[in-house]
Amino acid sequence: MTPLLLIESLSGGYEPVQTFKEVNLTVEAGACIGLFGPNGHGKTTLLRTISGLIDPWAGRIVFDGVQLNRPGEHRSRQSRQLNYDVLQRRRMDPKKVARAGLIQVAQGSTLFPELTVAETLSMAPLVARAGGRSVDADRVLALFPRLKERLRSKARFLSGGERQMLAMACGLLAAPRLLMLDEPTLGLSPKLRLELADAIHAIRATGVPIIVVDQDVEFLRELVDTLHVFDHGSISRVLPRAEIPQHEALMAEMFGGGH
Amino acid sequence: MSAQTLMSILTSGLMLGVLYALMAFGLAIVWTTLGIFNFAHGAFIAAGAYIAWQFGSVDAFGFGFWPALLASVLLMFGLGVLLQYLLIRPFERQAQMVLLTVITTLAGATIINSLLSIVWGPRAKQIAPAFDGDLVWGLLRISGQELMMVALVGATLLALAWFLLHTPLGRCMRAVAQNREAAQLMGLDVPRLYALTFGLSAAIAGLAGVMIGSTRFMTPSMGDDPLQKALVVVILGGVARFTAPVYAAFLVGFAEAFLTYFVGLYWTPTLLFLGMIGVLVVKPEGLFGQRQRSV
Repeated sequence: MTPLLLIESLSGGYEPVQTFKEVNLTVEAGACIGLFGPNGHGKTTLLRTISGLIDPWAGRIVFDGVQLNRPGEHRSRQSRQLNYDVLQRRRMDPKKVARAGLIQVAQGSTLFPELTVAETLSMAPLVARAGGRSVDADRVLALFPRLKERLRSKARFLSGGERQMLAMACGLLAAPRLLMLDEPTLGLSPKLRLELADAIHAIRATGVPIIVVDQDVEFLRELVDTLHVFDHGSISRVLPRAEIPQHEALMAEMFGGGH
Repeated sequence: MSAQTLMSILTSGLMLGVLYALMAFGLAIVWTTLGIFNFAHGAFIAAGAYIAWQFGSVDAFGFGFWPALLASVLLMFGLGVLLQYLLIRPFERQAQMVLLTVITTLAGATIINSLLSIVWGPRAKQIAPAFDGDLVWGLLRISGQELMMVALVGATLLALAWFLLHTPLGRCMRAVAQNREAAQLMGLDVPRLYALTFGLSAAIAGLAGVMIGSTRFMTPSMGDDPLQKALVVVILGGVARFTAPVYAAFLVGFAEAFLTYFVGLYWTPTLLFLGMIGVLVVKPEGLFGQRQRSV
């Protein structure tokens, strides 16, 4: 059986800085994987590349048997005494990615500041319909009862937690076949973190495959099947759930005992 | 200053305000949505006016004013979509996009101006107005055509506001303007929305061209001066919302009308630009803006 998402030796970053290299990642249908690693090691850039917001430098992204990025190749060009290395970027189309059902909930997104919650929610199912998938809006909203009270307020008046809930609700209304959550509990109060964690567990229970990036090992341990440790721009280790160590122990392993 | 003079200054200010509002609105939707400043907007105005002249004038196709207006707006929409593909789309994912598109839209403006000169010649023309004669109402004196254009442009701005606020497509356009990446992650068709926005902006420019061409005279470079003023308007008003430049447009329109009376035609642009620089120093986000889109 082909895996749902297959990433083969993917490299990328923001020119001229490469932030991740030779990343291999496989997500089977129904799986939930965690991506853990220090800040600034390229996790968010990796997710942005998979979503097509930036073009990968090399490698393949295959979702449900379809390659999402165009193949590209290196070209060299000589002009006078200079060698220009012209890299044809492997172009991606974020619309195509989202229509295929590979949906990302971005990190701390401000969404659309001047649009109301109701307006924002009304746009989210468009991509699901375009991709031929059906959405159960009531079930999604039942996960986030707070949003129902704020339907008429603009996104810029929402609290950080409410905005994150709105972003997650939008992600779910897109009827994801694979949901990518980038630090869903970043910068939230402990109470809100618990509320969002409950929601994520509920999403997990419905069988939607999830890739979740987070810094909270305890949260990931309860949620994921496997934990991929992201270190200096590539996945250094893959740990099954039972082998996920405590936060302190993991940090000590990654940075040495001094921490 | 007599009451008669005051009335005519106010009428002139109203005319200018409506014209600048239309122009600035067209510039602002492109700036907030695509993140670029379209220097070809003035040339779009001239192109719209000449298309309308070609369709409306008895010397050319002779269909009359209303078919000419319709043809101008529709063709300008198509031209806008086409030019967006040619001048802006190729540079979309480049880091220097803003700078590159300054050059490409300036180039586009020059090419359009030259084409207009080649095809229609540099001599001033006028689109045959739909209404002749002046309306006099107490001290108020305004030509029928001017009054009709003011009403038409006002209605158009309201219709556009309604379109952006209350239709699904308008909502998607506002969403892309406010957060392009979030819109991309939602799977909105961003390139198509860019093309639509640019086309809409060009169609609005066409209407502005018909307004100038049917109430004054038109030359291939007729859009340059309104473009400068619209630039002042956009900077004064800020572009945080589509509506912000509309208030600023009337401010600039009335200021220009009064300044022209008191200090004359030559000092007016100087004072307007000084005012603009003053606003940039004191309140860089614009008089009515809270936040400027970062480049």
